Amino acid sequence: MPWRETPAELERARAEQPVLIGSPSGRLCGIYTPAAPDAPRAGVCVVLLTSPRSHRNRMWVEGARRLATLGFSAMRFDLHGTGDSEGETAFRNPNQPYREDLVAVLRHLGAAFGERRFAVSGVCFDARTALSAFEDCADSIVGLLFIAAPLMELETLVQAASERKGWGHLMHALRKPSNWKSMVRPERWRHAGLVLSRMVRRSVPGGNAAELPLSPGFRRDFDALVRSRSRALFLYGREDSEYESFRVAERELFPRLDAATRARLEVEVWPGRIHGCTEMNRQRESFERGVTWLARLHPSVAAAETARR
Amino acid sequence: MSHAPPAIPSFFTAADRPLFCVYHAPGPDRPDAPIVLHAHSTGFEQLTSCLAEAGFARAAADAGFPALRYHARGHGDSTGDFADVTLDSLVEDALAAAAEARARSGRSRIVWLGVRFGALVAAEAIRRGAPADALALWEPAIDPDRFYRAMLRGVLFFHVSEGRRPAFTVDQMMEAVERDGRVDVLGYYLHRALVRSTRGVNLETLLGGWSGPTLIAQVQARPRLTEAHAALARSLEARGASVSTAVIREEPGWQISSNPAWVGTDLARRTVEWLDALA
Repeated sequence: MPWRETPAELERARAEQPVLIGSPSGRLCGIYTPAAPDAPRAGVCVVLLTSPRSHRNRMWVEGARRLATLGFSAMRFDLHGTGDSEGETAFRNPNQPYREDLVAVLRHLGAAFGERRFAVSGVCFDARTALSAFEDCADSIVGLLFIAAPLMELETLVQAASERKGWGHLMHALRKPSNWKSMVRPERWRHAGLVLSRMVRRSVPGGNAAELPLSPGFRRDFDALVRSRSRALFLYGREDSEYESFRVAERELFPRLDAATRARLEVEVWPGRIHGCTEMNRQRESFERGVTWLARLHPSVAAAETARR
Repeated sequence: MSHAPPAIPSFFTAADRPLFCVYHAPGPDRPDAPIVLHAHSTGFEQLTSCLAEAGFARAAADAGFPALRYHARGHGDSTGDFADVTLDSLVEDALAAAAEARARSGRSRIVWLGVRFGALVAAEAIRRGAPADALALWEPAIDPDRFYRAMLRGVLFFHVSEGRRPAFTVDQMMEAVERDGRVDVLGYYLHRALVRSTRGVNLETLLGGWSGPTLIAQVQARPRLTEAHAALARSLEARGASVSTAVIREEPGWQISSNPAWVGTDLARRTVEWLDALA
């Protein structure tokens, strides 16, 4: 169902405060939503990252106002070079997240609104940016909602994508004239070579392809998350191409965590796709899951869960 | 290097609801320059064009033209339900934004910028008596029915690009809008309320009384004006309007976000040049 604004959400909208925040890359434009004064205070400001800030179908607008009715404050903002923010517009490489933007926003929230505890949330590039803030601000982050982000360098992702491809796929590709035409470009030969070598190694008995490496940036930021006391939800669709890279993290990183840390970091892998948010029912499901998970960071909910356990 | 003060985000009230806007104060002192008022497109197109609109507003402010960009109800950071958006509600918000633009800038003259579906909104606002000195149209939606159908064709192309066979035709999806009240357009709904509100509406008809300076900026890969844009230009010229055209050979991909996002530098430059020539 499409979002229907409730009277309580409309009230939160009336309280919203647009802000300009200085960052090394230019002024960032954001909107702060104060917590509802009559709701029990969560003491957590949820920072919703996306570019532009409303996200597809105004998801983060709805999320900010709904969370505010539950006692959270919220902030949504445009990263530099996007939406209403200043700065150069460039290709957004998930392995070069806009950490400085987010750190500037968290510091501004502290200085201007007295916010001390944060939850950060994002999809894909924005999730990697959310995670990158742990390097500077781990002590103040209590929750991370991390949705469908790639965890490898871009060239490695191409190889990871080939893990989904079989010989049938190759035969199909060979029958397409457009693929042959594109082979005039050297990078297409390189791509074909990478994919083919992965497939051959997988096909030969005993010739399993080596584990593809996670990006050093992700490893560093994940380590900072592990050292923190923050909770996290990693949410992927099994058919997301980004999930191939997360599978490596599931095999390499998660088994090494001690029990207490592992309990803090939840993983959910759903059938189908989540990345892209281009299918309405799935968009609503993943949005609802994200907001519900964030709402559980409220001290009263957390206390009730602890009591039940 | 920008000469204009920083753009200021804020809310104003229309129909007793907060609407979001960004005001771009002018850099150089040009007191006779009109304010540029943006009427955005609808659905996801509001996002795909927002960076180009912001870039243009900054460039216009640098050239001495104040600008106001706003989000209509049910869009972006404003309030209201997208499901209830109609041409009438969009025009009501545009008229409120026009009053806000004049109050903020102290300017009495307005140049309207209609982006895609926003062209219909700007034209109808002008038809209802909004002050208008000139009109810029970016890749205008001339016939709303064609606009919706092109949007739905985009869904089919997207499915094909992902190796999926489309489950419905465009006609079937248009029937679904009428029958079910909405259809999924890549993570946005196309709602019956909007479709019904534009029945029998056409940009050329809405501009029937307009004879002011007009810019038609086509944003497509093709090298010449489409027949639809050329016909619109001829019809305006026949009524005495001074019409300029610009062919911007870019394909923003209105329904899909790109990385990097579309910035429309050439479009902004051409539009500022047209503004400069007017003043």
